[in-house]
Amino acid sequence: MTRYLVIRLLESAVTVWGVVTIVFFSLRLTGDPVLLLLPLGSTPDQVEQLRHALGFDRPLPLQYLVFLEHIVRGDFGISTRFGSPALPVVLERLPATMEVALLAMLVAALLGGAAGIVAAMRPNSRFELAAMGAALLGQATPVFWLAIMLILVFAAWLHWLPSGGFGGLDHLILPVITLATYSSASIARLLRASLLAVRAQDYHRTARAKGLAEWRILLRHLLKNALIPVITVFGLQVGLLLGGAVITETVFSWPGEGRLIVQAIQNRDFPVVQAATCVFAIMIIGVNLLVDLTYSVLDPRIRYAEGE
Amino acid sequence: MRQDPTLRKARRITRRAALKLLGSGVVVSAAGLFGPTVTRPAHAASKAVTIGLDSDINTLDPHMTASVGTDLSVISHLYSSLVFRGPDLKVHPLVAASWQPVSSTTWRFTLRGGITFPDGEKLDAAAVKWNIDRVLNPATKARITPWFALVSDARVVSDMVLDVVTKEPYPAFVDQLTEFYLLAPRWAADHNPAQEAMGTGPYTLKEWVKDDHIALDAKPAYWGDRMAFQTVTFRPVPEASSRVSGLLAGDLDVILDVAPSDFGRINGSRRARAGAVPSVRSAMVKFNTLQKPFDNRAIRQALNYAVDKVGLIKSLLPGLTAPNDGQILTSAYFGFNPDLKPYPYDVAQAKRLLAGAGAQGGLDVEFDVPTGTYLLGEEISEAITGQLGQVGVRAKITEMPFSVYMDKFVKQHNMAQMIYLTLAWATLDADGLLTLFEKGNMYAYWSNDAFSSLLDQARATIDRAKRLALYKQATALMREEAPVLFLFPQPATYATANTIEWRARPDDWVRVWEMIPKA
Repeated sequence: MTRYLVIRLLESAVTVWGVVTIVFFSLRLTGDPVLLLLPLGSTPDQVEQLRHALGFDRPLPLQYLVFLEHIVRGDFGISTRFGSPALPVVLERLPATMEVALLAMLVAALLGGAAGIVAAMRPNSRFELAAMGAALLGQATPVFWLAIMLILVFAAWLHWLPSGGFGGLDHLILPVITLATYSSASIARLLRASLLAVRAQDYHRTARAKGLAEWRILLRHLLKNALIPVITVFGLQVGLLLGGAVITETVFSWPGEGRLIVQAIQNRDFPVVQAATCVFAIMIIGVNLLVDLTYSVLDPRIRYAEGE
Repeated sequence: MRQDPTLRKARRITRRAALKLLGSGVVVSAAGLFGPTVTRPAHAASKAVTIGLDSDINTLDPHMTASVGTDLSVISHLYSSLVFRGPDLKVHPLVAASWQPVSSTTWRFTLRGGITFPDGEKLDAAAVKWNIDRVLNPATKARITPWFALVSDARVVSDMVLDVVTKEPYPAFVDQLTEFYLLAPRWAADHNPAQEAMGTGPYTLKEWVKDDHIALDAKPAYWGDRMAFQTVTFRPVPEASSRVSGLLAGDLDVILDVAPSDFGRINGSRRARAGAVPSVRSAMVKFNTLQKPFDNRAIRQALNYAVDKVGLIKSLLPGLTAPNDGQILTSAYFGFNPDLKPYPYDVAQAKRLLAGAGAQGGLDVEFDVPTGTYLLGEEISEAITGQLGQVGVRAKITEMPFSVYMDKFVKQHNMAQMIYLTLAWATLDADGLLTLFEKGNMYAYWSNDAFSSLLDQARATIDRAKRLALYKQATALMREEAPVLFLFPQPATYATANTIEWRARPDDWVRVWEMIPKA
């Protein structure tokens, strides 16, 4: 197991290095940010001066080596937009994103999980029809539209909830509902399909024949097997949400990671884009690793030990 | 099939689960009914105002930003400048009580005494000199260095008198100083002005939660006018529809950049009003006169005749603006020529000019438009394309993000044949704006010696009458030569809650002392 983890960590380091390198070069291929920083009407001399001061006039390979040397020390440079170190700028936004992402995934897991289980255990019932219909709508609804409609109805018309911004529970409700909608819908559909497939297996028929209670069969036998594909998708979605759900954060003015990255890209704030993609890559890799380890818990046939 | 008792238990569980969900939903909604209405304050009673901006500020350092609408507006509440521009768009004294040119290259400022920073430092001539030196120092990498490109030195004449020496005459220097805010020298040495603030302005910084809000508190003792609002909150709300919803929900009192299509909804609610003022930013279609076909003046003039500006405004921006008077300056600018008129809408004349230039068979031109940058830019460009099509000019629109558009326009010196552009100059002086069309300027794509010579003469003197006469000629020449398709000043749209009385300023400044609370 340890050997497996070590190999995975090394692979992750290579992946992160690859991501950071690709981002570095593709950013610089799109042009430099100096023009966007100076007031309109600055002369070419003034532009050159700032370009030189920020180090964008050195040859690209040299910039890259300097960049690598700095990031191993955790220094991603100074944000050209904010004027302060880029990595703290990125990490500052992380708690806000994590709050809404994890809460949304929790709601999605509970709601989607419950709906999926009941739909599978009661095939062809009215509940199943309603649940799967709602799930289809949930997956098809554009996030943008849903967010705006929720704000319109609950904030502008009913005055029940705030229209946006960072805060306590009442500020979290609408963004969490928006994010959880798509995830719970896809979890519900996937879990139902997975459970139905698993119910068709021989071991399920054996368990029923033994006279075991339905819910015990569910917990002990069915779920463990049905969850494997669902956990994969769940893990992917958690990773994506941790990177920041840009649309939701923008519409709700939620001070998160996604908004930061997109604005940094538009403003050509290279240090922040680099720091954010690096952090994002590490988080996704971490989540994927957790998902892979969960497989071995769910399915004893999957073991990451030597010699298997 | 006989009902298996274990099945029934399972169903009970799921029903229980469903009831739990329903119950918690009811509780949440009930909390929503009673909770927020109790916690959110009624703004009419307390003297607080919340302003919705379209993005968060980048920095609190007054020398590291040039954006008036966000950063500098917030900064102007915390710090003071030598002079400021009032709602009448005229320059008024603030820290500088008076100023005059002592020679064509030296401006003398006499400061109003008695202003100190909260840490005790005096805002005197030495402090102002320190600020100017900071901008001129290359190590600072100040973003506003271009504004001081003509400044060679600042000299302390006495405690409250400062001379600023320029390399060449700089007639619009004082106008430029309306955007220059003053830090405390000793404080700035061991604090980070980008993140913290301590200034001589009417407000102190209470807190800045990045991307969420900036809260300011009025100072109990301020050397200037008394403030009507005790608390000011700036909230970045990037999504336009969320700003409108926020206004209607009562979370925001003032918002900017309101889409004209939302005016009806806002004015129809009983909580807020929407409106617009013509800004100092003029929209235009800029021609690349260095290439065909726009190297031909007749063709450029033809396109000016071919666009029905009045009709365009009526359909896209009804009642919000009016066509530019044959120049890119608006009446707010020094150097505006009141004698010029817009090109009339004359399709016949346009076709005649095109035929005379040998283009009666039609023309194909590229038209670059930046997305999400200018108010209704994409829609206006499409409307213009339709109108040009009627005289046989087929414009092919290519939309692109602003950064790519700027790259092509400025960095690669590869501007398309036509681009949709808006231009303004914060000093409201013709020199700044017209210089963008001077021969050799990287934004110009126009090479006219007579025009450049007029600008040179106008900036070599600080005599206002002489300058006005020269700009009269320059603007007339520009209209005749038509290096752009003149359009109209872009409207500055805004909306306020009924508890606030305020009109947006044409020059983007957002300042709470220009807002009046209504009971």
